[in-house]
Amino acid sequence: MANLEVKKVTKYFGGLAAIQDIDLDVFDSEIMGLIGPNGAGKTTLFNIISGFYPLTSGNIMFKGEDITGLRADVIAKKGIARTFQLTTLFLRATVFDNVFIGFHMHYRQAGWKALFHIPAVKKEELIIKQKVKELLNITGLTQLKDELAINLPHGYQRILGVCIALSCNPKLLLLDEPLTGMDPTEKLVMVDLIKKIRIRGITIVVVEHDMKAVMRLCDRIIVLNHGKKIAEGLPEEIIHNREVIEAYLGREDGEMDVV
Amino acid sequence: MTNKRLGKVIITILGLIILLLLPLVVKNPYWQHLFIMGLVNSVLGMTFSMIFCCAGMVNLGIGAFFAIGAYASTMLVIMGNWSFWLALPLAVIITGIIALAFGFVSIRNPGVPFVLMTIIFAEIVTQMTGQIQLFGGWGGFIMIPRPDSIGPIEFKTKLPYYYLILSLFLLIVLFLKGIYTSRIGRAWKAISLSPHLAETIGINVYRYRVLAFVIASSAAGLVGSFYAHYSQTIAPASFSGFFSILVQLYPILGGINFYILGPTLGAGIMTFIPEYLRITKEIEPIITGLLLLAIIIFFPGGILGSLINFPHLRLTVISNRLKEIRAWLSIIKSR
Amino acid sequence: MTSELFFQLLINGLLIGMLYVLIVLGLDIIIRVCNILNFAHGHIYTLGAYVYWFAYVSLGLHPLLSLFLTLSLIALFGVVTYLGIFNALQNRFTPYVSFSHRMLYSAMLSVGLMMILARGIILIFGGEERGAHSIFPQLITISNVRLPVEKLIITLVSWLAMAGLFFFIYKTKMGRALRSVSSDREMSAMLGVNTTWISLVGYTLGVIFAGLAGAMVVHVYAVSSEMGSTMIFISFVVMMIGGIGSYKGTILGGIIVGQMMSFGFQFLGGLNYLAIWVLFMMVIIFRPGGLLGEALD
Repeated sequence: MANLEVKKVTKYFGGLAAIQDIDLDVFDSEIMGLIGPNGAGKTTLFNIISGFYPLTSGNIMFKGEDITGLRADVIAKKGIARTFQLTTLFLRATVFDNVFIGFHMHYRQAGWKALFHIPAVKKEELIIKQKVKELLNITGLTQLKDELAINLPHGYQRILGVCIALSCNPKLLLLDEPLTGMDPTEKLVMVDLIKKIRIRGITIVVVEHDMKAVMRLCDRIIVLNHGKKIAEGLPEEIIHNREVIEAYLGREDGEMDVV
Repeated sequence: MTNKRLGKVIITILGLIILLLLPLVVKNPYWQHLFIMGLVNSVLGMTFSMIFCCAGMVNLGIGAFFAIGAYASTMLVIMGNWSFWLALPLAVIITGIIALAFGFVSIRNPGVPFVLMTIIFAEIVTQMTGQIQLFGGWGGFIMIPRPDSIGPIEFKTKLPYYYLILSLFLLIVLFLKGIYTSRIGRAWKAISLSPHLAETIGINVYRYRVLAFVIASSAAGLVGSFYAHYSQTIAPASFSGFFSILVQLYPILGGINFYILGPTLGAGIMTFIPEYLRITKEIEPIITGLLLLAIIIFFPGGILGSLINFPHLRLTVISNRLKEIRAWLSIIKSR
Repeated sequence: MTSELFFQLLINGLLIGMLYVLIVLGLDIIIRVCNILNFAHGHIYTLGAYVYWFAYVSLGLHPLLSLFLTLSLIALFGVVTYLGIFNALQNRFTPYVSFSHRMLYSAMLSVGLMMILARGIILIFGGEERGAHSIFPQLITISNVRLPVEKLIITLVSWLAMAGLFFFIYKTKMGRALRSVSSDREMSAMLGVNTTWISLVGYTLGVIFAGLAGAMVVHVYAVSSEMGSTMIFISFVVMMIGGIGSYKGTILGGIIVGQMMSFGFQFLGGLNYLAIWVLFMMVIIFRPGGLLGEALD
């Protein structure tokens, strides 16, 4: 059974269709690329899946369960996490705290028990702190753990964003342009991280413009243009797909430099 | 234990000792009254601070919940013949329930609508207590009975009242400290830093906001109830008008980011300084208004906030102001 | 109810309603262009009334001159307070500071201003009620109904002012700048709009309308120093009922509330506020965005 099933999802803003009749299935542990020219509707789709926008019609199933119309935090608890195009962090908190809060919200002890600081809560907190340290280690942020998020260089901020998303223990990770604004070294680090994430069994959907990275990372690719799906398939197929090439070359910012 | 930690513990213990011995040392009932009001105002300030810092919302109608607590307790004791000691907790619960109902509806629209609704709600409460005779009308209730004696302690002088409010104060402080360091407190911190991101990681922002609001409002009701039985009169004038506005001054003055110390410091200053300076009722609002403006423009972190950044802040603030004045002049010139 | 009474209440309600509309439109502009919730607005209304009264009654000036003087003074007041008080904050807010934080601090500044203004007005002008005689004490008669000319003229002037405002906002270049800043401040700044100047214009415009309403009121009602507090509260209610983002909603809300005050006072006396609250609660529950407001998200 597919991890994520998007069925005929349509979203209208006023009279304008941002996305129309999108059908896609994402399978367990795969890395799916979501590409298309700017304005094609990719971020809109992410916002709908993660619960920030209501959709106009269609539905979304995750692990067999209908998650259409659920609130963002409910969807997060069900195991879908995401990052944002614009760096979204808890800026005035340390790196450690940024990640800690995510884990913290997903643990078993009920909130009111936390109020009394009983030993069980303390013990759990230690376990969580350990997990945070592990995660920081994997993502290479250990040195920076006490630095304020706002002081990090851009590349690290983006990695932190991914880290925060991972702290909710997701089964599905939606990455919105994780490589934007990074220099080549930083990009390598991020791509590496994404691969590591997949090895842990997390399904990933990536929106990206950097085609080289997309080719390296993704098992399958879906192409959107003007809110509609215009192609789906393996990376090699997609770059030779006529419609896809036209969609990109018809725009100023076509980045099909792999062709 | 680090030096810093040790320092904090010592200061806390010292502070406690001072608070405990205060009314025994200063026997003048006028000053004792000020101490009591200082503690009451501190709690109110903490209420505002909690709603602002944890929920990211502004409550300009705290007077309403203060009043609800006061009136509930008063009516239970006078009309229901309840003992104060039972009326107090029940008044808190009643305030909490009303806060929940109000919060339920209003927190769906945080931001400007919420602020307006708190103001309107405060006005409604004022009007209702004033117009409806059951709630005392504009004259309110007088001769509200003192709390029943516990054992040999009778509430005839200010002393027992002081220790009562001190206990309530400490209780609230402990409770707040506990909750701020818990998971709930962390969720609040996340919400205050970025509600959007908080939602992404599974925090039900709405629910946590309502929680903060209910807790804070209940605390206001608690001291409201105390106040009714302390001053023995309660009328719409006690909590209407500038009351709620004054309350926000305490945490801003003391330091908005210090949930507990800030409001306490601010309330302390605002309770004592006006008396000390013998500012007449005539120009008091002007002074308070100017103070509010000065703090926000020059010392947005409040006293505690500025102390932390002291030398650095002073210079940057002054140089910023100079830049602004220069910009202002250039606008006028360019037109 | 005779038709005469009905029309008198109607005109009355329209007058009151238009006053609310002017004041709340001013408040609305200040919120949207400057991001300031101006609590001092009610007292600026009071200030307008007292200054006009002073000019017309104490100094004996011609009503139009008094009006001009009042509006100029209010405008000056607006400029000085904006540059002196509110502007300090605008530049402090980087894009990282949340909207509610900005609103809070600006609102608190306006609260400080309100406190100073409230007491200041009493100190300068004295605390008693003031009033002025009607300039046009006649009544005109339309099909057996006698209507006070004064009130009709003031209502007309209000409509004209409002029309002028909309012309300015929708048809002039500066009006376009105002709209652009109110919808996206950062973007406007990047496009070269001098947001400080525009905010100044917006704020001054807003307070002028409040002052105008105040000045016009002097001839028909007694003005007191308490008006400000009552007025700001009603303004908020009108804003909530009409919807914050919507000028049309404000007009509708203002007129409705005005009529409710007028007819309500006739039938319910002091409890006419109750009727307004009922309306308010119903709007909050069933249409939280206000009658014509944008859906809040």
